[in-house]
Amino acid sequence: MGPLSREAWAQRLAAFRASPSAFMAGPEGEDLGRDLLSDLRSEKLSEQTKVSLLVLSLEYPVQLWPDAPAAEVAATSLLDTLVLLPPRLSALRRLLLLAATTALAAGGALGPTSGASCRLLPLLLGLASGSDLGPGFGPTSEQRSLQATACECLRELESCKPGLLGGALGLLRGLLGQAGPVQPLSLLLALALRNTLVVQSRAGAGLRGLLMAGVSPTRDGPWDWTLVEEGDAHLQPQAPSWPAAEEGERRLAAREPSPEEARELRAAVAQLLDTTYLLTPVAQAQLLWLLGWALRGLQGQPPALFKPQLVRLLGTAQLTLLHAVLALKAAFGEALFTVQDEALLLRRLTLAAQHPALPLPTHLFYLHCLLSFPENWPLGPEGEEAAPLLLRPQLCHGLLPSLLHEPMALLARLHLLCLLCAEDEEEEEKGLVQSPRGSLEELMASLQQRAALDGGPRALATLCFQASYLVAHCLAGQPTVLTPLIHGLTQLYRARPVLAPHFVDLLDQVVPELGEPLRVLLRQEVVSRPGRDEALRWHLQMLAKVADGSAQSATLSFLQAAAAHCTGWDLQQALLRVCRALLHVGGGDGLADLLQALARQLEDPDGRDHARLYYILLAHLAGPKLGVALAPSLTAPALASSLVAENQGFAAALMVQEAPAPIRLSMGPREIKGPLPVLQLQVEALEPIYSLELRFRVEGQIYAPLEAVHMPCLCPGRPARPLLLPLQPRRPAPAWLDVHALYTTPTGLTCHARLPPLSVNFSDLFLPFPHPPEGAGPGFFEELWHSCLPEGTESRVWCPLGPQGLEHLVSHHLEPFVVVAQPPTSYCIAIRLPPNSRLLLRLEATQGDGAPVALRTDDWAVLPLAGDYLRRLSAAV
Amino acid sequence: MAQRAVWLISHEPRTALCGTVRFSRRYPTVEKRARVFNGASYVSIPEDGPFLKALLFELRLLDDDKDFVESRDSCSRINKTSIYGLPIGGEELWPVVAFLKSGMIYACVPLVEQTLSPRPPLISISGISQGFELLFGIQDFLYSGQKNDTELSTKLSQLPDLLLQACPFGTILDANLQNSLDNVHFASVTQPQKQPAWKAGTYKGKPQVSISITEKVKSMQYDKQDIADTWQVVGTVTCKCDLEGIMPNVTISLSLPTNGSPLQDVLVHPCVTSLDSAILTSSSIDAMDDSAFSGPYKFPFTPPLESFNLCYYTSQVPVPPILGFYQVKEEEIQLRITVNLKLHESVKNNFEFCEAHLPFYNRGPITHLEYKVSFGQLEVFREKSLLVWIIGQKFPKSMEISLSGTVTFGARSHEKQPFDPICIGGTAYLKLHFRILDYTLTGCYADQHSVQVFASGKPKISAHRKLISSDYYIWNSKAPAPVTYG
Repeated sequence: MGPLSREAWAQRLAAFRASPSAFMAGPEGEDLGRDLLSDLRSEKLSEQTKVSLLVLSLEYPVQLWPDAPAAEVAATSLLDTLVLLPPRLSALRRLLLLAATTALAAGGALGPTSGASCRLLPLLLGLASGSDLGPGFGPTSEQRSLQATACECLRELESCKPGLLGGALGLLRGLLGQAGPVQPLSLLLALALRNTLVVQSRAGAGLRGLLMAGVSPTRDGPWDWTLVEEGDAHLQPQAPSWPAAEEGERRLAAREPSPEEARELRAAVAQLLDTTYLLTPVAQAQLLWLLGWALRGLQGQPPALFKPQLVRLLGTAQLTLLHAVLALKAAFGEALFTVQDEALLLRRLTLAAQHPALPLPTHLFYLHCLLSFPENWPLGPEGEEAAPLLLRPQLCHGLLPSLLHEPMALLARLHLLCLLCAEDEEEEEKGLVQSPRGSLEELMASLQQRAALDGGPRALATLCFQASYLVAHCLAGQPTVLTPLIHGLTQLYRARPVLAPHFVDLLDQVVPELGEPLRVLLRQEVVSRPGRDEALRWHLQMLAKVADGSAQSATLSFLQAAAAHCTGWDLQQALLRVCRALLHVGGGDGLADLLQALARQLEDPDGRDHARLYYILLAHLAGPKLGVALAPSLTAPALASSLVAENQGFAAALMVQEAPAPIRLSMGPREIKGPLPVLQLQVEALEPIYSLELRFRVEGQIYAPLEAVHMPCLCPGRPARPLLLPLQPRRPAPAWLDVHALYTTPTGLTCHARLPPLSVNFSDLFLPFPHPPEGAGPGFFEELWHSCLPEGTESRVWCPLGPQGLEHLVSHHLEPFVVVAQPPTSYCIAIRLPPNSRLLLRLEATQGDGAPVALRTDDWAVLPLAGDYLRRLSAAV
Repeated sequence: MAQRAVWLISHEPRTALCGTVRFSRRYPTVEKRARVFNGASYVSIPEDGPFLKALLFELRLLDDDKDFVESRDSCSRINKTSIYGLPIGGEELWPVVAFLKSGMIYACVPLVEQTLSPRPPLISISGISQGFELLFGIQDFLYSGQKNDTELSTKLSQLPDLLLQACPFGTILDANLQNSLDNVHFASVTQPQKQPAWKAGTYKGKPQVSISITEKVKSMQYDKQDIADTWQVVGTVTCKCDLEGIMPNVTISLSLPTNGSPLQDVLVHPCVTSLDSAILTSSSIDAMDDSAFSGPYKFPFTPPLESFNLCYYTSQVPVPPILGFYQVKEEEIQLRITVNLKLHESVKNNFEFCEAHLPFYNRGPITHLEYKVSFGQLEVFREKSLLVWIIGQKFPKSMEISLSGTVTFGARSHEKQPFDPICIGGTAYLKLHFRILDYTLTGCYADQHSVQVFASGKPKISAHRKLISSDYYIWNSKAPAPVTYG
């Protein structure tokens, strides 16, 4: 495709500028970068069109050439175009240098492996040093401006790759001393010097050598990249100059240079400072920031070099210059500013913050500087705005706020006034026409009066509430200030209930010292005036915010009266929101009546349903549960409102949640007491829980249903009493118990958890027979033994015994059931098995490693269980 | 200290977007550094459309403020500087330096050379003051000598080229854009060494130095026991030095007559090479005493080519030039007004013009007026609810004049009669507008013989003086009035 016409390009550029992202996503986006480069060499396009193409590339190189290879290609092409320019005066030469620099730096292509970089850098340095590069680089009249441009390009490249010009420091110093343009060279040298100081403190390169080297070795040879680190490593820590901003950062170049290095460095800095008056004010400021950065933390470098500049700078009205002085103040503190200097600087700052000849943004910035003033010996916590110690109230007289100020100026000055009031709490006012507190009170009253103005713009109300917030925030501990403020705000509400959203917002944001009393007064204010007017909507909104448990009867009678006037859906919802707020704090009898009445009386079905729902909640839920149910939920609906939406909020709170087991249950030691077998359960809590109910279910209905067990609360680490669980077996058999826990979490949610099943063993059902009288044991046992047959059955089992023998087995496992004992050889054991079975054992010791056991029972079903039991017993022994 | 982007936006109330981006410029190499410095807290520069919307919302310049919007109206969203955080696409772009002046919004985003979270204090960011200076420079360029929209458009169209000169990579080289414009024209001239960067070339022609002192006097008069009246003089000394040579040195001395009021709060142009410490420390925030420095005030400097403000000062003169009282009494349906003005005998009784404006805010149009003036004539602007008392060139011999009368108002219509948040209830003011040529209230003058010029040729020296009123208010003494301090 041939080159586009001027008009086509104009259209294309306009479309691109309207929305670069949309254009690049469109069909023409892909080719734009390529077309631009090729058309720059077209002879058909005018220089003006080419200028507009280059200007676009200066602003959007990343969109045109999105990656490093593309940027490299673009920069190469731009450099080729530069070389091909005819030797006459051309506006393109400067732009091509800027564009190639931008493409390389912004595209991330700048580096030792980039061919374009290796062409551009020596070219720029050559231009900057004023060398004659031949007629290809334009007539000599253009050289001077190209020299300055080359310096700017080098400065930008050095900014993006610190250390790049480390090898050219000596050359730049030499140029500055000779014929070069002062400002570009000064700024370039200052930046390179600062960066080199950062880099060499790490790399350990000799500074002196760099500063002294007469002619750069890079003119003809390859560029020296040694001080440039790969990636953006150098860009990270060079920012600090402010102590607060430097927290945790490595101090810049915290090393001591050798005496020769120090002397050379001082000479270079002095050389730069001597010619600052030739720089524009903004450039002077840049130079001072850079040199302040460079010398900060360098030992043996007294900042006195800056001193001669300070008086001149303090006299100016220039924002950048005074800001740079403050930076020097922050960097060097007492080493550069004595107490008297500090006082003078503070005075100049104070007067600049109010000087009628300066514009408002400047005033505001100076006010900020005043409250963040880098004091020599700061007292307060760092990073917080505070009035400097030397700034006495007398000095601030002209900085007091007045209604005539712009909102921002008023707030900034009000902040200062608050800080003065906070400091002034104890002190007597000296020689002021009016005490700071008096001024504050008067101003707040006027602001409230203005905000109360019917039909006034919202900005006035906003300003009043912002001021109130600021005062409450700064002077929370001063009731003498807060009390009139609270009363004033209450009056404001009385005058203009339409400001209710502002009040709600204020109550949300403000400290409790103001919020709590204001809430009480506002509630009184609302409920004391029965609303049937336009303000009812605002009263209800207000009340939903301020209603609480106290003085509920007044609130309820207000709502009752209001209900009659709530005709529309929105008003009814507002009314119900107040009810909801009351429910949230616990409700009460009166509320139940009101809700019932609303459930009948409201016109809108949605409203009625809501009222009924609230009534049901109130009637069925205990106070704390109600609180949880009504607390704002994360799933709170963004819908206008409806029962369904609201229910989403309730659902989580009202439904039982499934949860992992919050406790661990284990079987405790067996205790035999009473007519039924009783399990003793140990409970261990894993998290705090309340109102625990444990439900047990017996598999197979072998036992009678078990009662649930309740425990009021459990805490981890706090021992709980064992739970006793009486069993009523229907058959004498072991069983599994399913266990479920139902409990409340500390956040009020009701949860359900299933615990691992508990096993009830055969032996857990054993109960002893009543003890026969002394000596009657053998007769009693024999009687039992015989009574088992013929219905029952008899069996014999061989029971292997361990080394401790029969006596051990009996004493450990069967002790409570022994009827006749002839230790260690013979035992008669009778076991009752509820509901009505018996198991009788005769154990006889023999000489071997076991004992024959004769067993009888009146219940056939018991026999295999008993056999298993005995075998397990002997295995355990 | 670099800028990531600059915008100029015209504020157009009552249009769909309420504004148009007239100019914008992004600096991609600075953006590249921002990405590295800001790290995880980096927020990219948005396109013009979203930026415009977010900025207008933040500056409260969208027309819609009917409803409470928390993100704008919440009491805890307090801005005390012209530096904002703009919510854009779920992130917050900060710091955005922005201000509105004469219907134009000037905005830029300075580079912060560290992480933005937590936010560093503004004072530690060098780019903030640089950004302000750039925006002020653009503002000065657009509005210096500009008279109409066509001129504004012409100047706007020059802006891209000028910024290419003054701020090619986002680091500003010269905030004086006029200078950059001249630089373009001087570019072909071979400049000698040690040429100051703020001086585009050298002057060739007849040497002359022109000094003009303009004093503005402002006052708040209450005529009340418990509130002190205030008044203050603010002086501006403007110079234009047409002198040959690269660095001609000039010293201008400002002098005061024997009983003149000392100059205070002196702020000088950066071209002033040294400043007497007595000038530096003379400030209105200290209590005055008789030993105050009273000149002569010497300002040695090397002048730039263009006209510039050599210095600003304030002064506390012993009495206001015109002392007056204003009483407004509400009588059923009408207001009874009484005004009394007295020119101080020490003031030159020769005005270019002198008028008293009596606006009546938050009321309907004037329907009926009965009045009596002892001097001058009264003009009535019924729809604007405004009375203008034209006093003329001279006060009468008695130096004292008065106006009394009754004003009746019709029903208020919100569109026509302006709302005023200050003049509520009985609160009202009259504002004096006057100008006196060849006169300063402090007595300050530039003695032509004391001007020293170290340059070739003897220059012609001219000096001018004038006093103008600015914010000269006399408040109704029968109602509350806003108090200013200092």
